[in-house]
Amino acid sequence: MENNYWPIIYDLLQREGIARQHLTSYNEFIEYGLQSIIDEVGEIEIENAEYPYKIRLGRVKLQQPGVMELDGSITRTTPLEARLRNITYSSPIMLECEVVEDNKIIELKYIHIGDLPVMVKSNICVLNSIPENNLLENGEDPRDPGGYFIINGSEKVIIGLEDLSYNKIIVGKEEVSGSIVYSAKIYSSIVGYRAKLELIMKKDGDIVAKIPNSPVDIPLIVLMRALGLESDKDIADAISVKTEIQDELETSFENVQDITNTREAIAYISKRIAPGMLEEFQIRRAETLLDWSLLPHLGKNVENRIEKALFIGEAACKLIELKLGWIEQDDKDHYGNKVIKFAGHMLADLFRTAFRNLVRDMKYQLERSGQKRGINTVMAAVRPGIITDKLNNAIATGNWGRGRVGVTQLLDRTNYLSTISHLRRIQSPLSRSQPNFEARELHPTHFGRICPSETPEGANCGLVKNLALSAVISVSVHTAEIIEKLYELGVIHINDASNEIKANGCKIFVDGRLIGFTADGVSLANKLRFLRRNNKIHPHTSIAYSQYNNPNATKRLYINCNAGRILRPLIVLNNGKNPIDDKMLEKIIKKNLSWEDLLEMGMIELIDANEEENCYIALSPSQITEKHTHLEIFPSAILGVAASLIPYPEHNQSPRNTYESAMAKQSLGFSTPVMNFNSYVRQHFMVYPQVPLVNTKALSLLGLNDRPTGQNCIVAVLSYECYNIEDAIVVNKSSVERGLARSFFYRVYEGEAKQYPGGMKDNFEIPSVDDNIRGFRGERVYRLLESDGVVMSEAVVEGGDILIGRTSPPRFIEEYKEFETRGPYRRDTSIGVRPSENGVVDSVIMTQSTDGGKLYKVRVRDMRIPEIGDKFASRHGQKGVIGMLMKQEDMPYTEDGIVPDVIINPHAFPSRMTVGQFMESLTGKAAALAGRFVDGTAFVGEKSEDIKPILERYGFKHTGKEIMYDGRTGKKFPVDVFIGVVYYQKLHHMVADKIHARARGQVQMLTKQPTEGRARGGGLRFGEMERDCLIAYGASMVLKDRLLEESDKSDILVCERCGLLAYYDMKQRKYTCRICGDKAKVSPIIVAYAFKLLLQEMLSLNIAPRVIIKDKV
Amino acid sequence: MRSVDIIKESDESISLRFLGFPRQYINTLRRFALNEVPIMAVDDVVLHYNSSPMHDEILVHRIGLIPLKTEIGRFVSADECSCKSNLGCSKCRVMIYLDVEAKDKTRQVLSSDIVSEDDIVKPISPNIPIVILAKGQKIKLEGYARLGSGKMHAKWQAATVSVLKEVDTSKDEYILNIESVGSLTSREILLESVRILVEKLKSFENSINKLREEKEYAKSTM
Repeated sequence: MENNYWPIIYDLLQREGIARQHLTSYNEFIEYGLQSIIDEVGEIEIENAEYPYKIRLGRVKLQQPGVMELDGSITRTTPLEARLRNITYSSPIMLECEVVEDNKIIELKYIHIGDLPVMVKSNICVLNSIPENNLLENGEDPRDPGGYFIINGSEKVIIGLEDLSYNKIIVGKEEVSGSIVYSAKIYSSIVGYRAKLELIMKKDGDIVAKIPNSPVDIPLIVLMRALGLESDKDIADAISVKTEIQDELETSFENVQDITNTREAIAYISKRIAPGMLEEFQIRRAETLLDWSLLPHLGKNVENRIEKALFIGEAACKLIELKLGWIEQDDKDHYGNKVIKFAGHMLADLFRTAFRNLVRDMKYQLERSGQKRGINTVMAAVRPGIITDKLNNAIATGNWGRGRVGVTQLLDRTNYLSTISHLRRIQSPLSRSQPNFEARELHPTHFGRICPSETPEGANCGLVKNLALSAVISVSVHTAEIIEKLYELGVIHINDASNEIKANGCKIFVDGRLIGFTADGVSLANKLRFLRRNNKIHPHTSIAYSQYNNPNATKRLYINCNAGRILRPLIVLNNGKNPIDDKMLEKIIKKNLSWEDLLEMGMIELIDANEEENCYIALSPSQITEKHTHLEIFPSAILGVAASLIPYPEHNQSPRNTYESAMAKQSLGFSTPVMNFNSYVRQHFMVYPQVPLVNTKALSLLGLNDRPTGQNCIVAVLSYECYNIEDAIVVNKSSVERGLARSFFYRVYEGEAKQYPGGMKDNFEIPSVDDNIRGFRGERVYRLLESDGVVMSEAVVEGGDILIGRTSPPRFIEEYKEFETRGPYRRDTSIGVRPSENGVVDSVIMTQSTDGGKLYKVRVRDMRIPEIGDKFASRHGQKGVIGMLMKQEDMPYTEDGIVPDVIINPHAFPSRMTVGQFMESLTGKAAALAGRFVDGTAFVGEKSEDIKPILERYGFKHTGKEIMYDGRTGKKFPVDVFIGVVYYQKLHHMVADKIHARARGQVQMLTKQPTEGRARGGGLRFGEMERDCLIAYGASMVLKDRLLEESDKSDILVCERCGLLAYYDMKQRKYTCRICGDKAKVSPIIVAYAFKLLLQEMLSLNIAPRVIIKDKV
Repeated sequence: MRSVDIIKESDESISLRFLGFPRQYINTLRRFALNEVPIMAVDDVVLHYNSSPMHDEILVHRIGLIPLKTEIGRFVSADECSCKSNLGCSKCRVMIYLDVEAKDKTRQVLSSDIVSEDDIVKPISPNIPIVILAKGQKIKLEGYARLGSGKMHAKWQAATVSVLKEVDTSKDEYILNIESVGSLTSREILLESVRILVEKLKSFENSINKLREEKEYAKSTM
């Protein structure tokens, strides 16, 4: 394929970085969003009877990231310190507050109102000022993309959230109980606030509006009249001047004939939304409804009402056009109708509520105290914790309030790829329990925006998406300038438009707001695009002209300026001429020219899904005709980060690429160069990772060649003595002994010395037998501790050994007992190695937590040599576990003495059709022979025809097959064997983490049945189906053994007379039944403890379960 | 007609043509070259100091994999040695030392930094990289090289390539190709394999004879 514009995409991603969308969103929030939320409040009125005053809120400033220590001093923090010390990487928010009395500023001061978590590598992050070369010295990975937060030491990402476009009229039809209901929906949104408006056309043609905070539907005509359009003509014209459309309004007008003016309309609404209240109050409620709940994006003041009426008119117009069949219903899954909310947007929502809470709290405190006004009183009334805790809590738990959970996630640090893929993930708010088939499907508008392969399987399939490499997220563009430009270009204001132009012209919308008309929408669109290409208006502006097949339909030109649309770069063709020639490309490769220069020169432009509907895009230069408007930059950039590491993915069956995209995130490798600094609770690290011989273009761009996650293995496709049946693989034991797929597993254990009220605190020490310590675990496990109570480094530890010796004061302070010989006891709260793990103590870190306590972090490493049962996968969704480690002399060999590292079963291929793996095997072999990397990028990779001559040149067959001999007998195999080089990934599912067996052991306290789970040394469940088998077979003794003897067998005493539980009274040495007294006849019986528990639970419910026993025989 | 002739020979590799011998014998030689011929490799390491970023386990693993020049017959394997000691004696082990510090700049530690107490048992090449030390980092260790076979661990494999090729099965014509790791010459590997084969056959014969003798003894006493 002759498409070679990869350098443009390369330049784009390299300059912008992998997490640009998070960073721009966050930066926009701290630059504008924060201030605008504060400005919304503006001032706080302190309604004090004696001396009322106001607090005017001014500029907001963010200080350098820091943390307040226990003693009140402030330490400047870096992300590294935050991670190591389990603190939050945040920045104090300083707000300018003025005390104003009678419009005179009395005092002014910057007040600390809370801490804002800082996004790593954002504009206010300290790493921003450190040059990339020095990052390593500061303990940071220079390739770390940033875009996440550090809350209490753990890294949290706010996942991009997909949402329906705001302020946009979306019409649709739905079949409700046999009849078709037409509706127009608008999600009106301003910073941190969202209100939905819905117009519904009922069966009889009556149109009503559903407004939030209104329990009843309000007729369209009443609503428009209430907003200030009084006459019928004004209303009808606001909807449309076309008679066909106006005719459709007949029912709506008829239904509300008796309401003729605005006052009556408001009264009508008020009676319905607040029945039974004072009239004055009712009216006020209705007006708030109109100003605040109805289309807040158009403003919240009385003067915005007319515009709201016009907007509703347009919605009604679209609705009626849909009903008349002039236009199609809007596609909810069209990516032009979607926006993505990133961290900035989400934080704005949160900050808004938190800030309002703070203001309310301040107002309450200041009004109640009634103290002297003054800035110091105001300062004392500010509790920074309100904002800090709200923000920290929400990010730490992902709980955004109003039922929104799972907004944040712990950043995936399995390997570098999983990190960057996680940062480019997008979630849909749709429920995963419902089918939502259409929403899960791949939509044509995803092309170049959303990866077609990378999505999870199962419940979240298609709802969780990943950005494509070429995707660019729009930032918000200043609308005022655009509108000004439009009027300059001859757009006629609504008020000046003639009926002729209203009927046949084109409506012009900026961000969903009708701003005027023009006679020829197409030429206006072209003029605007010309301006955009000449850098006169922002490149993120989208200009989309919509014209339907029906000539009656209103023509509309949509200009969108909002943030969160997915754009993609395309080469602009000028009458079918490609402006980018080889010279230009050369300059880009040499970095003399950036993609932004191209954007400024109008050679490429950013297109959103709406505008793309107006484009005709050629896939490659050879396809270009006069009609084409754009040229695709690079076809493989439609893939996301995970899918673009697959070589030759276009030769695979598509689900295999999806599987691999998920699996690559589980592979172990070289996740960070600062592995000795990191303190992630679980971390893997491969000892000898390799760059894949069959590379893709994206791998080096994304930095995955510097952070590889696998090794190039010699792979033969052969069955071998049944040890590779059912996706198992045979691995060369000698290779393993030489270090193949060797990895380390690190686990960090931490212990903090807490301080308790009453002056008591935890101590780090070696617990000793003599010290009256409860829960002492025996001398042996403490043997590795040094005098400070912490294990020595490089000590070999096994399950149960104590790493951090710690004692704590008693949980409850007991009263002093005179006769107790022993003094107050302490509890042993030492931290030990997990029971099923072992390793070597790698590093011990001592630091201080923000609570002032000593904090130890101990990292234990464990070398993992591949063993039978460890999981591996190639890059084509071909996973398998090691079925056998075979010595080199037993492995098959070629005539050259090449012995495979891996033998994979031929049955892995026919049904799965992962031809890409054959391609990789073949080209990988050629790469190894020729001593160079082979490019296997999707669609443009080196073709096997070009590879074949290389193989032949080195004396190999072009088919990749070779004569092989059985290693045990030296006999030639009757057929040739396909053997080549395939990149294999070690996945983090290892036998060492899963192996588990139990004979006897722990039981649960409540039921006395064996515990569950490996971590608790639990038993393996003998379940219902297993029980059924024994019943069917009649093995009653085995059944009893499993379910009673080896489970929760217990002896209980029952009174034969009343059938209730009895007991043995130790003092009187006598069997007692509380009911029957002397007449009791107590007998022991054997039952399951769970049964005894059931009896007692029933007793507690006032049910008397009686056990009637009889003698056997 | 039976014959064996050398097609090609150098220190590193040897190629032979076998005519008229059963495949099983030649294959046994091929396998013995890989898993039976004993060579020296570092087996136990006492690590005194390691401030390099490389974990002890990996450092030691790398040292173990460095091929050491071996002289046939000079040493006996540790479990057959008369010393019966854990540390071994001069007959069954060679000590090596590595004591390197990157004093003023980043330094690559190579196999040439390894000091051996023996004149012959030394890394086969001076250029095998072990670890890169940053300024101020230090490694100090002593290692015990012992005799072992490929059966125990791949570091004791004498041959990298050991291939038996069919030329003409009807005439029992085979080619055996052995490439050495460098500890022994390819010829030594071949001859050692033959010796081990003969030895094993002899011990097999002995055990059979013993069985027979026992049986005859039992018969005679009946």
